[in-house]
Amino acid sequence: MMPSIVLLLITLAYPIFYTINISFTEFDLSTFGAGEWVGWSNYEEVLSDYRFWDALQVTLVYLVIALPLQIVLGFSIAFLINAEWSGRGAVRALFIIPMVVAPVVAGGIWRMILDPLWGLMNHALQTIGIGPLDWFGDPHLAMAAVIIIDTWRWTPFIVLIATAALLALPKDVFEAAKIDGAGWWATLWSVALPLLVPIIAATFVIRWLGAVKMFDIVLAATYGGPGKATNVINLFIYEEAFRSLRFAESSAMAVIVLVLTMILTGVFLYGSRKLEEQF
Amino acid sequence: MSTFATAAGLRSQTRMGHRIRVLAGVLITLIFLFPVFWMVLTSFKHQVDIFTTPPKFFFTPTFATYVEYFRRADIERRLINTVIVAAGSGLLSIVVGTMAGYALARIRLRGAATFGVLILLSRGVPPIALAVPMFLVARQLGLTDKHITLILAYSTFLIPYVMWLMRSFFISLPPELEESAMIDGCSRYGAFFKIILPISLPGLISTLIFSMILAWEELLFALVLTNRVASTIPVAIAGIAGDTINGANWGALTAVGTITVVPVVIFALLVQKWLIRGLADGATKG
Repeated sequence: MMPSIVLLLITLAYPIFYTINISFTEFDLSTFGAGEWVGWSNYEEVLSDYRFWDALQVTLVYLVIALPLQIVLGFSIAFLINAEWSGRGAVRALFIIPMVVAPVVAGGIWRMILDPLWGLMNHALQTIGIGPLDWFGDPHLAMAAVIIIDTWRWTPFIVLIATAALLALPKDVFEAAKIDGAGWWATLWSVALPLLVPIIAATFVIRWLGAVKMFDIVLAATYGGPGKATNVINLFIYEEAFRSLRFAESSAMAVIVLVLTMILTGVFLYGSRKLEEQF
Repeated sequence: MSTFATAAGLRSQTRMGHRIRVLAGVLITLIFLFPVFWMVLTSFKHQVDIFTTPPKFFFTPTFATYVEYFRRADIERRLINTVIVAAGSGLLSIVVGTMAGYALARIRLRGAATFGVLILLSRGVPPIALAVPMFLVARQLGLTDKHITLILAYSTFLIPYVMWLMRSFFISLPPELEESAMIDGCSRYGAFFKIILPISLPGLISTLIFSMILAWEELLFALVLTNRVASTIPVAIAGIAGDTINGANWGALTAVGTITVVPVVIFALLVQKWLIRGLADGATKG
């Protein structure tokens, strides 16, 4: 216990305090350290910066579309690939492959597949009469591309959790439903779903904790473009800190994002506990 | 309609449904695997076979990209760096995280519950909030571009991860295991090392492998804390993918991508049974 507390204090708590400290000072580029104490002025500057709000909005759009999409897809696919047949084990094993592809590699290969000129996707779409689509030139399509890549990378993770959840469902309840003459839809809606709600909620929290860190895929696939259409908050802060060397302002942004994330995580955790009690 | 006919009709309907389900499952799996297949395929193409319309599925394979690019971009050193950092941070986190996970699961300590919640919350800390101060401190202490810096940075997310998984694993073990050993004169430490660790070995190894995978793929800290000496493979890939001056070097991208992905896939397939259990426990318990 002790070594872990000490290590986490050094590597986790200390940097967070350091960030908070810098966010209240004028950063001194000559000594590369905290300079004069300036109170809330970095925060005022950040909050009046429309680019910060834009990046937050982009992140929000990504989260609101990608998370539900991945949860629904994940649980549906888990249902499909757990049909009992001789190849089930193999299918299940193969399905985890995308989730161990490094996110930066995922971004890179999809950038190649979605390439407007030579990419396989546009070629395939054209054979059925769609396109050519300018995946990385159009702001909406670029966001769609990012969500597609992220969904490809992360849905198997949800399938994995959902598989374990489906296998743990009590069989006798379903047999009872069958005997009572419940149809397929009624069984799914009023028997399986209520049993799954706590696990869906928990899966949502886990996936949320990963999704707020969105960085690698965007960096490799679009680098925030076109314009700032896919510039998620983590990439924006990264650029501000390490390209523009605005460490004080980026620290203030990081603190704001940290607080937002903590509050939302708390809300989601509380919500999933409540759901667990109810069902 | 007699009862018999209805039952038979229903059965053939469900059998049909079952077949569709299997087929759809296989189809979706193939779709999900395709990008990886396409990456490996492209890595064995000559440059002239990569940029074609329509894209080529059949061609004369070559190792040219691997041979040429590896010499040029220092991939060998990056590969060694990535192995050192992944193994180092994985081992550090498994040792520290397992002991802490055990303490959280078994020993009644004041504040253990609070600490548990804090650990879970810490998984929500955006890495960028840590990357800025780590960069500045590492610079001050002259620790940039060193393996140890990355190893410590990675432990910020690996230790909580290991703690959480191992805690739920230890909770699932019956406490009588250590109790009987302790009655026989073992200390708490003795019981942990002699009884608990051997039983937990498969789980431990799988958690270790998965931690190493997480470190292996990490990009942000590696980007910020290294530049040449200790730089890792993901940094190289980000560089190739984002190279707007020379245009897309798909050969290099897919070759390095393949090198990165293949060993991890092999490891993941080896531990996949445990992975399903571990993930589900981590998600649902606690």
